[in-house]
Amino acid sequence: RYLWRNSICQQKIDITLKYTDEASGSKANKEPTLYEKFLKNPKSVPLITSRKLENCNKYRQPRQAWLETLSTVEDHKLGMLDLHPDIFAVHPRLDILYHNLRWQEFYKKIDYNWTPSRGDLDVSGGKQMPQKGTGRARNRNRSSIMFRTGAKPLGPKGPRALFYMLPKQYRVQGLCTALSFKYAQNNLHIVDSLEIPTDDPEYIQDLIDTRFWGFSALFVDDTDYMPENITYALAEFPSYNILPVYGLNVRDMLKHETLILTLAAVEKIEQKLLFHSSRNKRSSKFSMDTRYDQY
Amino acid sequence: MGIEKALRLVKDLPRVALNNIKNSPMDQKKPHNLRRGWGKNKTHGRGHKGQGQRMTLPKLGFETGHKPFYLRVPQEYYYEGHHLKRQYPPLSLLRLQRMIDMGCLDPNEVIDISSICMTGHYHLHVDRRHYGINLTEEGAEKFSTPICIEVQWASEMTIATIERLGGVIMTRFYDPLSLIALQDPETYFKTGKPIPKCKLPPTDAVEYYSDPKFRGYLADPEKIAEERVALSQKYGYDLPDLSESDKLSLLLKRKDPRQIFFGLHPGWIVNLTEKKILKPKAEYLQEYYHS
Repeated sequence: RYLWRNSICQQKIDITLKYTDEASGSKANKEPTLYEKFLKNPKSVPLITSRKLENCNKYRQPRQAWLETLSTVEDHKLGMLDLHPDIFAVHPRLDILYHNLRWQEFYKKIDYNWTPSRGDLDVSGGKQMPQKGTGRARNRNRSSIMFRTGAKPLGPKGPRALFYMLPKQYRVQGLCTALSFKYAQNNLHIVDSLEIPTDDPEYIQDLIDTRFWGFSALFVDDTDYMPENITYALAEFPSYNILPVYGLNVRDMLKHETLILTLAAVEKIEQKLLFHSSRNKRSSKFSMDTRYDQY
Repeated sequence: MGIEKALRLVKDLPRVALNNIKNSPMDQKKPHNLRRGWGKNKTHGRGHKGQGQRMTLPKLGFETGHKPFYLRVPQEYYYEGHHLKRQYPPLSLLRLQRMIDMGCLDPNEVIDISSICMTGHYHLHVDRRHYGINLTEEGAEKFSTPICIEVQWASEMTIATIERLGGVIMTRFYDPLSLIALQDPETYFKTGKPIPKCKLPPTDAVEYYSDPKFRGYLADPEKIAEERVALSQKYGYDLPDLSESDKLSLLLKRKDPRQIFFGLHPGWIVNLTEKKILKPKAEYLQEYYHS
């Protein structure tokens, strides 16, 4: 890990040098971050006070969440957002979470247990003892299930896949219930972006400690191209992880104590989950040959 | 409302994690009992010999060869859905005339379903799929008062008898929740519920209530006037001119399609003890009740 970090540091130096060479000419045009603007003049930055929600049920109130930053260790709020109630305030059903967790565990499983049956045992086919006269029960070859050293009848046979697909609505609602639980128990935080000023791991540790985000945190961004500072900083910690939106799953959300979403990620999640929760069409009939393409 | 309550509970409970999630008890499948435990050796709970032990029992409902009970009674499709069909218990014109003569009903006011139910001589049971009054023709020759009446079903003859005497008949639909309020307004107001908004008739009743021949409340008033003339010609009586009658203001009284009681709007709560009416202020409620 030391060697790897050194090599990455070297690469980083090269990159930064290259960047400074390029940027030295256009330093004046470099845009200050939202928080830098806020520090200079709080009134210049427009506070987010609402968000447009798609197909919101008019009899349900949207949930509200603070928009925070990772630019400073202290907790500063940039605004307040509306969250869709059909995703962040869904009925808190534990059995849907259970089904999702079980599915995530079992669909990858292959049971390799194999016991030989009568035909698989390496045993001679001849009669063990004469039919009559010995005083013992009558028998044939040694593979019989009645014998102590015989075969096991109907035992596990060979590699068996425990793959199954949980119905779509369970999976969609599983994500929605996990997000609702995180929101309801104050473990959900929304952040403008995952850009941090340094790649020092201590910075991120201080940040998480001051905000009491817990022992484990999951950062979710909308694409899989992450800012470099945060990737280097979080590489030190096995319990703080980053994910793109397409990797969001119930097990990871429940495993990590806090969930941190970027604003772009929230938009993407809402759009996708709303689309699929109200959709009952399938593009083609399911078949085992083409199953992986569909999911 | 259950979702909001549940989410409020969840806030104070421990953090949901991988170690405290269980399946719902009804979903947990019991494994098949192999009956290998203590006391279950030898016959494994199946007894000795016969079909019980040898898994050759007959199918459920089988009665050793003769026609079983579940096949003896034939299916009669003409009764299908009879328990769900709308019923309009009859009220004859004879009874109506008698109620007016006895003083139970006032011909100087609009005769509504609630005024007929409150006389005590006619009963509606909403839970038995009673949807209103069916005014029948018996006593048509003895009927002799001009009235303004609102019923749920009327035949041509009844309409003719009432209009011949200078009265007005209207057919109007009420949904079951509104009927609960109408058949006994006093007990309904005591429950403290707001006056319901009357719903439109179902698809198989829309045709009846938008037909001017039956004086439906959804029909065109001009066409109703034409039909009045046509009916008078069919039955051979002179159609009296209503504009000359004393009770013109009464005969012109109509309810809004969403309104149930005269003078009261949907959404209002009537307090009989304090003699007050409470009206909704919130915009979303006003929008709902005015729609």
